[in-house]
Amino acid sequence: MNDQTPSSFFSRKATWQAAVGLFTALIAFGGGQIQAATPAGSLVVGKSSDPQNLDPAFTMDNNDWTVSYPSYQRLIRYKVEKGKGSTNVEGDLAASWKASKDSLSWEFKLRSGQKFDDGAPVDAAAVQFTFERLMRIKQGPSEPFPSDLKVTAVDPMTVRFTMAKVCPYFLYALANDGGSIVNPAVMKLAQGNDDAKGYLASHTAGSGAFKLTSWQKGQSLVLDRNPYFGGKKPALDRMVVKIVGEASSRRLQLESGDLDVVETLPVDQMAEVAKKPDLTVAENPSLLVTYLYLNNKKAPLNNPEVRQAISWAVDYNGIIKSIMKGQAKQMRGAIPEGMWGFDPGVMQYSTDLAKAKALLQKNHITNLNLSFLYSNRDPNWEPIALSTQAQLAQVGINVKLESMANATMRERISKADYDISIGNWSPDFADPFQFTNLWFDTENHGLAGNRSFYANAEVDRLVREAASISDQAQRTRLYQQAQKIVVNEAAYVFLFQRNSQVAMRKAVNGLVFNPMLEQIFNVDTIVKK
Amino acid sequence: MPYLRIIVKRLALLLLVVLGVSIITFVVSHLIPGDPARLIAGDRASDEIVLHIRRSLGLDQPWPVQYWRYVQGLCHGDLGTSIRTSRPVLEDLKAFFPATMELALVALILATLLGIPLGILSAVYRNKWVDQVVRTLSVTGISTPAFWLGLLLIILFYGKLALLPGSGRLPEGLDPPTRITGFYLLDSLFTGNRAVLVESVKHIILPGFTLGFVHLGVVARQIRSAMLEQLGEDYVRTARANGLPRWGVVFRHALPNALIPSVTVLGLALGDLLYGAVLTETVFAWPGMGSYVVNSIQALDFPAVMGFAVVVSFAYVILNLVVDLLYLVIDPRITEAG
Repeated sequence: MNDQTPSSFFSRKATWQAAVGLFTALIAFGGGQIQAATPAGSLVVGKSSDPQNLDPAFTMDNNDWTVSYPSYQRLIRYKVEKGKGSTNVEGDLAASWKASKDSLSWEFKLRSGQKFDDGAPVDAAAVQFTFERLMRIKQGPSEPFPSDLKVTAVDPMTVRFTMAKVCPYFLYALANDGGSIVNPAVMKLAQGNDDAKGYLASHTAGSGAFKLTSWQKGQSLVLDRNPYFGGKKPALDRMVVKIVGEASSRRLQLESGDLDVVETLPVDQMAEVAKKPDLTVAENPSLLVTYLYLNNKKAPLNNPEVRQAISWAVDYNGIIKSIMKGQAKQMRGAIPEGMWGFDPGVMQYSTDLAKAKALLQKNHITNLNLSFLYSNRDPNWEPIALSTQAQLAQVGINVKLESMANATMRERISKADYDISIGNWSPDFADPFQFTNLWFDTENHGLAGNRSFYANAEVDRLVREAASISDQAQRTRLYQQAQKIVVNEAAYVFLFQRNSQVAMRKAVNGLVFNPMLEQIFNVDTIVKK
Repeated sequence: MPYLRIIVKRLALLLLVVLGVSIITFVVSHLIPGDPARLIAGDRASDEIVLHIRRSLGLDQPWPVQYWRYVQGLCHGDLGTSIRTSRPVLEDLKAFFPATMELALVALILATLLGIPLGILSAVYRNKWVDQVVRTLSVTGISTPAFWLGLLLIILFYGKLALLPGSGRLPEGLDPPTRITGFYLLDSLFTGNRAVLVESVKHIILPGFTLGFVHLGVVARQIRSAMLEQLGEDYVRTARANGLPRWGVVFRHALPNALIPSVTVLGLALGDLLYGAVLTETVFAWPGMGSYVVNSIQALDFPAVMGFAVVVSFAYVILNLVVDLLYLVIDPRITEAG
């Protein structure tokens, strides 16, 4: 036992002196330029995770497109109409184009004076190289283009695409990240037969307004202005993408002035940010929808009236108000508002428990047990599952919640091994094809899109016909006709389309949101005051 | 030559460990339902494209063939190519591993430098207020979630006081030092880059303290109990009776004996710190292996996950070897025994 130990080894005075000394040293050492605002010519964007692969022929991830999209140009781009992003398109590298009468051949005249970031001209050979490489690599971004696509450089400034089957959304697909025109000089940096995949995974080689100049993995990416850019000179000199995984840290850095723009903050944090005098939150309706899959293959969900009962039982307003904090709008059919082909007249389910009960009674269904599959991929899914469970309990359906890893959930969905599940969906290109052919056609059963395993021969016929012609008015008619049947048969539960929210400093002006370009910033036209 | 015998034995064991870890990770990552090729291709890709990707990644081959190819690569120091980033896994780990290791080492040093004196004080002043404070601190350390402590420190030192940076390893616009070890602190010191050294220190204080705080509690408690045991021994009483000064006895006689079991605790703590850095790295946007591995797991990127497991288990075995060798240095009796 050590009862005889001295009561104080260090004197009290010495302890205090040490503490004050340490604190002073900390201030002297740590003080200074920590809370300096970002430089005037730089836009500093805070993102939650590091990009993975920047090769336009490889990546299908919007998180990568934040960097790749402004580094490249495409033949076609989305229009900005009255300061707002639209799903209509115009020429970017293409000065003009014309399609043959049968829409099987498209000829593009290139704009002159466009240059890659090494000063080389963007010509027809570069376009041919890009698409041949894309189709050779054959990853996700090649999917929208016909597999037999042929590209010919007619002359240095004219390029021709030919295909055997009509691809009605061809023009829109060209505006997608996968249509980014790559400098053929990258082949000098190819390793073996890798088609420069290794190099382009972490570098850019385009003619966009900016080019990637450094990438500190997991920390930050710097894009500097491309001195050879053929368009109007951007006001910004630099875009810095800073990776800050934790949402609260991102918010704090925005408030402290270390970040100019922040994406993907939780809805409640966005509300707090909006209250700060020097910050603002840009809110825009997006084309990102959340909906429930009902397994149409499995009894009793193969009965449309049972699916209708579920659709009438869901608490749409409650989900939007309490879970989405009002930052969403109930879907009306499959094609979201803002996408051409949207039908404001199509029937919309509301919450009507009496109707739901009546439908179940009519089919003599009592004590029905169903499972609801979800993952933690989206933090809103669990509360939505809980809300659905509570609502369905009121009409006599017992829902068992099954939470699992996202990869496992997808595997189960692909095998139709579920009753109810949930998903988010956003279009790859601005065409209702993405919400109709993929969701309704029996050809796309499974993860490809028809995740409810819905089957209706008439609907198949309508959407296939719509995908085989290029007349937009006629396609709209066919899609709306198909959609009416699907909504009536309640193939899915159409929940809501979200608002996109971006928090930023008020000094950032001219940010244009385009629902087709989630997580992509128009750094070529943004101004910082 | 006990040192040599232990080193040879452990290195032989290392081969078995790496082989075992690679087999287990391979089997587990292949048992998880899900298709990495489908994840890369995107949901809307046709089966033809998915098949093409599967083939190009060699995923269409039977498991034993895939594993054999992996082992062949491993023998040549090739950890395969990441499915997610298309880069060699070794290259990715080279970028992320030093950041994690540097953070874990700083955390360990902080935990040791603060934990040992606190443990000694706590033992010497047993049941006095100093002891109560240290014990409360230890329990707080052990039970405080790292992400919560990290956020509090960020709010206080970055948000309110503006004393220290809130994320990353270096501020924007400052290039990393010339790479020698990958540790910014050491590399900037070796290359005489004062600006980077100062910024690196500023950036590592908060995450280092956050990560080290848990282990500070463990170390302080360990030292306290070992010291109490030593202070109660006859030789301490004899030394005191012979008139040796109190603190001389504490530091020259009791402490060296109390440190022996603590070496094990510290060795194991570094292993824990390597694995446990994930949350701290997330909160402080520290570009280490944590987020790389989490993203790789979500993307079913098994070459990356296996590479991580192999590298960390390798580091773990080496650390254990160092701990065992330290034992021999601190306590020669162990040498004689075995």
